[in-house]
Amino acid sequence: MNTNEYKDILVFAEVQNLKPAENSLELLGEANRLRNELGDNTRVLAAVLGSNISPVVESLFRFGADVVISFVDDKLAEYRSDLYGEALTRIIEKYKPAIVLIGATFTGSELAPTVAAKLKTGLAAHCTELKINDEGNMVQVVPAFGGKVLGDILTPNHRPQMATVKAGITQKIESRDFTGTIEDFQCDLTGFGDRIKITGRQTELAKGKPLHESECIIGGGFGIGNKENWTLLEELATLLNGATGCTRPALDEGWSQDEHAMIGTSGVAVRPKIYINAGISGAAHHTCGIKDAGVIISINKDANAPIFEVSDYKIVSDWKKIVEAVVTKLK
Amino acid sequence: MFQFFNEDQKMLQKVVREFVEQEVAPHAAEWDEKDVCPVELWPKLGQMGFFGIFVPSQYGGPGLGLTERNIILEEVSRHSAGLGIAMMTHELAIAAILNFGSEEQKQTYLPLLLSGEKVGGLSVTEPTGGSDFGNQSTTIEKTEEGYVINGRKCFITNSHIAQINVITGTSGVNEKGRKMISTVIVPEGTPGWTAGRKENKLGLRGSVTGDIICCDVKVPHNCMIGNEGDGTKIAMHTIGHFGRSGMAAIAVGVIKGCYEEGIKFSKERMVYAKPISNLQAIQFIIAENMVDLEAGHAMLYNACAIYDRGQSCVAEIAAVKLFTSEAAARASKRTIDLMGGYGIINEYPIGRFLRDSMAIIPSGGTSHIMSIIIAGTVCR
Amino acid sequence: MALNIAVCVKPVPDSKHYDKISIDPVTKTWNRTGIPMIIGDLDKHALEAALTLRDKFQGKVTVFTMAPESTRDNLVEALAMGADEAFLLSDKAFAGADTLATSHTLAAAITKTGPYDLIITGNESDDGSTGQVSAQLGEWLGMPHIMNITHLGYQEGVIELSVVTENGSVNYEVVLPAVLGVTRKVNKPRLTNVMGMLKARSKPLTILKAEDLPVDVRQIGLTGSPTQPGDIYSPKMGRKTEEITGSPEEIADRIILELRKAGISV
Repeated sequence: MNTNEYKDILVFAEVQNLKPAENSLELLGEANRLRNELGDNTRVLAAVLGSNISPVVESLFRFGADVVISFVDDKLAEYRSDLYGEALTRIIEKYKPAIVLIGATFTGSELAPTVAAKLKTGLAAHCTELKINDEGNMVQVVPAFGGKVLGDILTPNHRPQMATVKAGITQKIESRDFTGTIEDFQCDLTGFGDRIKITGRQTELAKGKPLHESECIIGGGFGIGNKENWTLLEELATLLNGATGCTRPALDEGWSQDEHAMIGTSGVAVRPKIYINAGISGAAHHTCGIKDAGVIISINKDANAPIFEVSDYKIVSDWKKIVEAVVTKLK
Repeated sequence: MFQFFNEDQKMLQKVVREFVEQEVAPHAAEWDEKDVCPVELWPKLGQMGFFGIFVPSQYGGPGLGLTERNIILEEVSRHSAGLGIAMMTHELAIAAILNFGSEEQKQTYLPLLLSGEKVGGLSVTEPTGGSDFGNQSTTIEKTEEGYVINGRKCFITNSHIAQINVITGTSGVNEKGRKMISTVIVPEGTPGWTAGRKENKLGLRGSVTGDIICCDVKVPHNCMIGNEGDGTKIAMHTIGHFGRSGMAAIAVGVIKGCYEEGIKFSKERMVYAKPISNLQAIQFIIAENMVDLEAGHAMLYNACAIYDRGQSCVAEIAAVKLFTSEAAARASKRTIDLMGGYGIINEYPIGRFLRDSMAIIPSGGTSHIMSIIIAGTVCR
Repeated sequence: MALNIAVCVKPVPDSKHYDKISIDPVTKTWNRTGIPMIIGDLDKHALEAALTLRDKFQGKVTVFTMAPESTRDNLVEALAMGADEAFLLSDKAFAGADTLATSHTLAAAITKTGPYDLIITGNESDDGSTGQVSAQLGEWLGMPHIMNITHLGYQEGVIELSVVTENGSVNYEVVLPAVLGVTRKVNKPRLTNVMGMLKARSKPLTILKAEDLPVDVRQIGLTGSPTQPGDIYSPKMGRKTEEITGSPEEIADRIILELRKAGISV
């Protein structure tokens, strides 16, 4: 394969509720950052699929797409692995990007390996960092063993180099000055979409603000003790216009009802400006999801809790007294 | 760790451990605190194939041996020695019927006990003592219709929950004028059979221990296990192999608990910013726990292998029982020392392990009785 | 209709022992000596899904894994849990495979021993957690594939599914044959019992080598893997860990100050 034929960076722009997914916008930011490492003639392409994509095009430009590749087809109204897999593959075959970035959403996590298999190229999952090495190849840092180990993955001889990235890992760049062009794309989807049929849909809105959109996150773990105590954390989060996040034990105990609120290896990675947590001991499973937080303040009654090692501020105390005091003052 | 298990035995260990971690470990502290035996688990334990694993296939078992049986008890007792002794006793009824019962008795009772549909028990000890076995005062009198049982038994495990009971007593004297000991099965619901006081024990809570009172309990002739006068042989064989090796397996389970919990705690507990597992004093405790576990394992499964080869090994099993029950007490005391203040907090299981090991020592015969049995065999 | 079901599982290091994983700073390989291998938790959910369907509609459950021969016992465990047959794909030529090469090898074994009505996998493995094999298997086999399954039902040739998404769930009907990736929500795996365990050894367990499979040697193992591993390291997360002391009120004031400094309006 002549890897030189492949140049641009393509981001799969996922549409959720008629809006571009935050995760995709973050990846447009990351694509712009990588472009600086690759050279200015690299373009950032955003591929968007659907039956009506006009509501999202403008924001794709605003967040950094040079070209929006628009594939409008009624068959693409809703995501299905076979249709989207084929459509995105055909787009990539035509545009020959060097790099394809896909958000590790439920959709993206299925779509990415589908497309990689069709193209017989490499894919690195849930990358925590992307960089370009001296040979101009993308180095993809991926976690393994629940975040205990990080490893570099390269796809040196195949193109495109594909990566999925979870929400909150990379950063959006927004500018009103960004402009770009729309290019329509069409291909024949006959024969696709016949074997998978959508028969229903239940919408279940995540409670509170989505974690990755929150500038302030209040985290709680097993040390919170019970569900009643948990509401105190929620009260603090509400006062700060933030969100609550949790560890797996707190989710398993049912204190936090929202499974999208789990932070860490098997949950989401977050990068709030400030992360205040209570009753979290600091298992690697959790801490690898908070490493990009701005400031980390941890409250734990155990002075030796490992969470303190990854905290900016350490408060050895009964968390309840502290949180109650903060809530009182904020009110 | 004992290295000579075959592939099936290794897998059995895993299978039991997985079950125990899911169904036993989360409740063990509660059973201990409330002192209740989880009889509701019996059908599940039966489905898992954990009862009567030594019973051959014609009676519904898989036909494995004492080794496999004690692997199960060890793993259960790693988290709940109380449940361990309740299962152990249930199997004493199974062993007595299997090894000495009539074909009819085996066909009638073994499937019920193996499936966990019914709970089994064995009543031997009396208020005057358990080891003075030939001098029992419970009577099993033969009549035209069957046998009539009168008397009182005490310290009986499963007293209040067993539905199929095996009981010993005297049935007259033989030609030498010695009391004849016999063993009969008392089916569920036989009038005159009642459980008396329930003991409030120091350890092995989560198993029920209490009195059995027999007041004109009438059973048909076909409830006699073997012949009249076979009771000593039946009880000695059953307790000597299945009882004491089971208690030893329970003790090994407790030692394993101490060993694992000790390591876990010492790695987590930080003092001066270092885990206490770095400290030599703590390392000594962990090493001693490991030595006791290795020794207990080796002794236990060596004795089981002798039995499974078809040989009697009452002395070897008495030796394991003596060593492991005392070792369990030592290991739990040591591990409490290792854990400092946390050792005596009931959120940690070690305090329970200590209480359990103290209760394991007299169960199936005290350490002194074990010494007498050993010496009696080796000096003969 | 009886269902012929294939389940792909992966033996992984037991996560309870992850603290024993270390990285050799010289060879840049990770050391997992002393860590027992187990069938991944999610894989057990996949196997349970297959066993449930088989128990209800009859048929057969065949388990596949691509791993070193030392993991044979893990396959025996799958047989003990209730699977009917197992294939262990083991060959030096398979070593170093990424998800594309792995799924190609598995697909070849499935094609050779099939046809199957259904192929079920866990949504992702416990160790690498890439979640890629399921979909890629579907692509190699040319079958529809769906992941993130929380509910699985079957009726007259059609599989009914619920799939979790960011804002709720979607129901699908899929025509067989298909490849399904299940989540933990889909069922509670059964525990293996003694009877199952004893039956396991007499069930067929076959080792397949590269030459036994319709594979293109350029698409298996390291050669067939577009991705290549580079450096490995432990995550570094050092922060200053400054202790805040004082009364709860004083500490609260300091927290509010930090919130302000971080740009949160309070």
